Amino acid sequence: MIYTIKSPALLIIGILMLVWGGLNNSGSIDGMQSYLQKSAYGDHMKVKEKFDAEYRVAKELAASEGSPAPDMKMKASKFDQVKAEQAKLSNVFGAVFVLIGLFTLVWKPTNGSLDYFVSVVPGVAYILLIAFIVRWGLDPIFANWGKAVKDAGILTWDFAHILNLNYVVLGIVIGMIIVNIFKIPAWAANGIRTARFFLKSGVILLGTLYSAAELAQLGGLSVILIGIFVLGSVGIVLFMGKRMGIPNSMTAVLSAGMGVCGVSATVASSPVVQAKAEEIAYTIGTILIWGVGCMFLFPTVGHMLNMGPVQFGAWAGTGILNSAQVAGAALAFDPHNIETLKVAEIFNITRVLFLPIIVLWLAAWYVKHEEGAEKVNLAQVVIAKFPVFVLGFIAMFALSSAGTFAPAGHYQGKYFSSSEVKEDKLLKGKETRVLDSELMRLREPDGAKALAKYLADTHVVSEGHNVTTTEVYQALGDLATNRKLMSRQQSDILKSVAKMEGFDGVAKGAIENAGKAATHDSKNIKEYRNWIAWLFAFGLIGLGMQITGKALKQAGGAPLIIGGIVGTLKAVGSLAVVLMFVKEFI
Amino acid sequence: MEPQKFERGTSLSIFVSDRREDFTALIFAFIIAFGVMLTSS
Repeated sequence: MIYTIKSPALLIIGILMLVWGGLNNSGSIDGMQSYLQKSAYGDHMKVKEKFDAEYRVAKELAASEGSPAPDMKMKASKFDQVKAEQAKLSNVFGAVFVLIGLFTLVWKPTNGSLDYFVSVVPGVAYILLIAFIVRWGLDPIFANWGKAVKDAGILTWDFAHILNLNYVVLGIVIGMIIVNIFKIPAWAANGIRTARFFLKSGVILLGTLYSAAELAQLGGLSVILIGIFVLGSVGIVLFMGKRMGIPNSMTAVLSAGMGVCGVSATVASSPVVQAKAEEIAYTIGTILIWGVGCMFLFPTVGHMLNMGPVQFGAWAGTGILNSAQVAGAALAFDPHNIETLKVAEIFNITRVLFLPIIVLWLAAWYVKHEEGAEKVNLAQVVIAKFPVFVLGFIAMFALSSAGTFAPAGHYQGKYFSSSEVKEDKLLKGKETRVLDSELMRLREPDGAKALAKYLADTHVVSEGHNVTTTEVYQALGDLATNRKLMSRQQSDILKSVAKMEGFDGVAKGAIENAGKAATHDSKNIKEYRNWIAWLFAFGLIGLGMQITGKALKQAGGAPLIIGGIVGTLKAVGSLAVVLMFVKEFI
Repeated sequence: MEPQKFERGTSLSIFVSDRREDFTALIFAFIIAFGVMLTSS
């Protein structure tokens, strides 16, 4: 069988990408980019204003000394970085696609691996093109519209934020529209099947972003929550299935799908309960309907309830049935930060780790309830069907917690370092003088009394103990003397104290400036987050292209009723538990 | 279930089995992880 389809599509996509890269490099579309990247452009104008003023002074100084105008270059702003990244990605992928596109037009494919893998490239290019359009175009356009409509007073809420009209949701919706209305072009069909592979790669790579402390906090919580809801869902489905008189094999696969991690659990448990193909199809249809519905509904509810990344991640990872939809909902809720996805995936992976227990339970249940059930080698089924990428995630996490990819303390994407504060970022004389006088004021009886009361009332805690007035004096004194923050602990203490009523505004500003100067971007973590965001964006757009009306229509009858009841119980029950017991700590 | 349309892989994957897909994803993710680590340092 020959897979490669001769089509100019790949070449055209490559050329479009190269054009976009060229336009960004030349600055010809800066006007459009300033609208799309509004906040980065605002930052750019500030940097430019500062540079222009510095250059003017340097030029005047040089003129007064009779020397030539200085050669100064403006440092790259966030806006420049955004454009440079778009240009780099467009040019690299554009060049690759143009070359392979030309090759496929002149090459006569023959049976074999080269033909198979070349046939995958146009579909990959197709998804990537949609990902570029959605992430660089539609996402910022909707964000701007949402803000504009709110600012104009037409709506009191930001519709783009509440309805999650970001690159994740838009990408999935576009994927669903393409497959169900326009159909996937034949030349792209093979490449679309890489979506799940990229999603799995994203999950494994996510392992680079956890610190041991974070995982210890999330791990305990996830085992308890997932334990209750996985075992509870499986038990309820088994009970309802018996009561409604549906076949034991159907009940068993449905319980695995509803309880554990959706489609993969259904497939893994099917051999031990001898499920038929149509029973697997029914279950997958039910899970897809419920999972896709939750993927769109959960983030909106999360925003309406003002949930944070830990609460939402815990809820999505527990309440949504299918792994891919958990990732979709977490990224839809928080598309420009990976924190929610990190929490949700810990819960999802904990759930997958329950798979062997559930398979054993279902095997025992099936043998007990089904007459003449064939004995199956359970160990073999578990070993053969267990998703290995989960172990990949764990291995990646093990390396990460050993500090292989980034030093401890870098995992939030930023880290504190006093020694890396640049000379020009040190506090100015006026700021240190105000800090000194604020220190004097807080040492006087009235000031000391007010400070002690504030520390007691607001429970300012640092490294597990209540902060004392002496620690505040020490931190303020150190900051004024060294003109920079000396430790993260002192930074946290001063940030809390600066919120105190009557605290000097200039001193507050100095603490903020010193905090910014000592906080640095972790280059590695930033790069990992970027890779993960692209892998998930790609995978989820491809996933959208696999959500067909035909697959959803597979659901029906008693399994759909049971799925609906258990899915609702799980979603609402986990929401209540999360809101009551889970606190934000990231 | 969807009829077997592909000589290789399934309708959801280009790989002949889920296990092969998992291992390839593992290798790919590790290449990215170490690649970023080496190029950033």
